[in-house]
Amino acid sequence: MPAVQPIPADTYKLGFIGAGKMAESIARGVVKSGVLPASRIQTAHKGVRRAAFESIGVSVFEHNNQVVENCDVVIFSVKPQVVKDAILQLRPLLSEKKLLVSVAAGVKLKDLQEWAGHDRFIRVMPNTPAAVGEGASVMGLGAGATQEDGEIIAKLFGAVGKIWKADEKLFDAVTGLSGSGPAYIFLVIEALADGAVAAGLPRELALGLASQTVLGAASMATQTGKHPGQLKDDVTSPGGTTIAGVHELEKSGFRGILMNAVVAAAKRSRELS
Amino acid sequence: MSAVQPIPADTYKLGFIGAGKMAESIARGVVKSGVLPASRIQTAHKGARRAAFESIGVGVFEHNNQVVENCDVVIFSVKPQVVKDAILQLRPLLSEKKLLVSVAAGVKLKDLQGWAGHDRFIRVVPNTPAAVGEGASVMSLGAGATQEDGEIIAKLFGAVGKIWKADEKLFDAVTGLSGSGPAYIFLVIEALADGAVAAGLPRELALGLASQTVLGAASMATQTGKHPGQLKDDVTSPGGTTIAGVHELEKSGFRGILMNAVVAAAKRSRELSQN
Repeated sequence: MPAVQPIPADTYKLGFIGAGKMAESIARGVVKSGVLPASRIQTAHKGVRRAAFESIGVSVFEHNNQVVENCDVVIFSVKPQVVKDAILQLRPLLSEKKLLVSVAAGVKLKDLQEWAGHDRFIRVMPNTPAAVGEGASVMGLGAGATQEDGEIIAKLFGAVGKIWKADEKLFDAVTGLSGSGPAYIFLVIEALADGAVAAGLPRELALGLASQTVLGAASMATQTGKHPGQLKDDVTSPGGTTIAGVHELEKSGFRGILMNAVVAAAKRSRELS
Repeated sequence: MSAVQPIPADTYKLGFIGAGKMAESIARGVVKSGVLPASRIQTAHKGARRAAFESIGVGVFEHNNQVVENCDVVIFSVKPQVVKDAILQLRPLLSEKKLLVSVAAGVKLKDLQGWAGHDRFIRVVPNTPAAVGEGASVMSLGAGATQEDGEIIAKLFGAVGKIWKADEKLFDAVTGLSGSGPAYIFLVIEALADGAVAAGLPRELALGLASQTVLGAASMATQTGKHPGQLKDDVTSPGGTTIAGVHELEKSGFRGILMNAVVAAAKRSRELSQN
C-alpha cells in the first residue's frame, strides 16, 4: 500500500461542505485562536450564509466542487440526512491526498468511506457548546487516516473546546453523554433557579446565579483535575448548608436518575443508527 | 451626618485581614485582570502563607494593624468564628474613612457594624469557584456604604467571576444556591460519568467528557442569555437521543429533587445564623 501523502501542516487549506452553524463555529474558533488564518479557510454557499463567513474573512465559493478542488482538509458539515448525497456528488474529486472529516451525527465511518471511495476519513462527534468555544468532541480515525491527520483535526476542534480520541464503537455512549448532556444541564440550571425562587430570591437573580454557579463548579472540575467526589468532600463542612443540600439529592436517588438519562440516550442512539 | 469621604478609585490600597485561600484568589484575580497592581495590595502573615502572596507581588506585613493603617479598603477574610475578635482588635484603627468588607459566611451586617463602630461595611457572599476565577458572588451594602463604594467592590469581585447586589435578607437563599450549589454539580459530573461508564465508556474519557459537557452547557447559558428552557428546546430534536434522556429526568422528578436541595440548604443557613 503506497504511503499516504502527509497534509502540509503549515500551509493546508481547510474547506467546509455545508455552511451551517457548526462550520461557522469551527471557522470562528480556529481564526480567533490563531490555529489557521481566515485566508486558508473556504466554504460554498449561494445565499444568506455567505455574510457570516465573509465577515470572518473566510472565502465563499458558489459550488462545493470549488471548495474540494482547493482544499487539503475537507469537513462535511451538512445535515446527516444529506451527507451521503453530498459525498457521492463530490466523489470524483475526493482523492486520497485529501483528508476527509464528517461531523454528521449517527453516520458511520464504514458508510462515509464507502461513499468517498477511500478510508482517509475521520469522524468527529462535536456538541452544541462548540458554538461558544466550549465544545466536548470525540473523534474516531478511519483506517487510512494517519496519526498526523488526527493531530491536525485535534488542533481544529481544540479551537472550539476539548477533544478526545475513541473507538467508533463507543460513539453511542459518547452521544448519550456529551451529545445529549447539555440538555440535562439546562434542566439543572432551571431547577436550581426555581429552588432559589422557592427560597425567596427574585427570578432574575436566581437565574443568573444558577448559571454562574454551574459554570464555576464545572470550571473547578476541569481546571483542578481533582475527582468530583474529592471536590464535593472539600466543600461539605460538618453540619453545614452544603451537606444538607447534598443529603436531599442522595436520599432521592439523584445520581441514579442522571445515570438513567445517559444510558437511555445512548440506547436511543444505538436504535437510530 | 457628614458626607462620607470617597475612596480614591485610582490610588486606593486594598488590604486583607486573613491571608487564606479566598484572599489569595481575589488578589490573584485582581492583579491578573489589571483591576489593581500588586503594589496596591497588602496583607499580614507571619508564616507559610507569606510566600503565596509575595509570589504575586503583594506586600506582606507582620501585623494586621499595619494593613489597616496603610489601606483604604479592608477585606476581612478570616474564618467566621474569628471575625468578631479580628474586628474588635482593630476597632481603634477602623475609621469611617475606610471601606470595610466581610466575606465571612453567615455573619450579618448588623453585627459587623456593631463590632467596627460604624456602618461603612459591605458584606459579600462569594463562592468556592472564585478560586478559579469563576465565582458567583452577591453583595449587600451597609447603610454607610455609598454607591461608589459598591462599584469598587463590584470591580474587585468581578475580577474573580460575576457579582450581583441584593438585600441581606436574601442571603440564606443565596447560600442555598451559589454557596452550596457547586457541590450539587460535582455530584452531577460524577453521575454523568457513571452513566457513561454504564453505557460502555472507559472511566477517564467519561470523567473528562462529563466535566467539559457541564462546562459547555453552562457557558451557553451565561453567554447566550437565552432561557434554559429555550436552550433545552433548541437541542431536543424529535424522537432523538436528547429528548429520550430528558424524559428519564422528568419522569423521576429530577428537577424537584434539585429544588429540594436548594431549599434545604437555605433552611440550614437560616438555622445556623440564628445560633
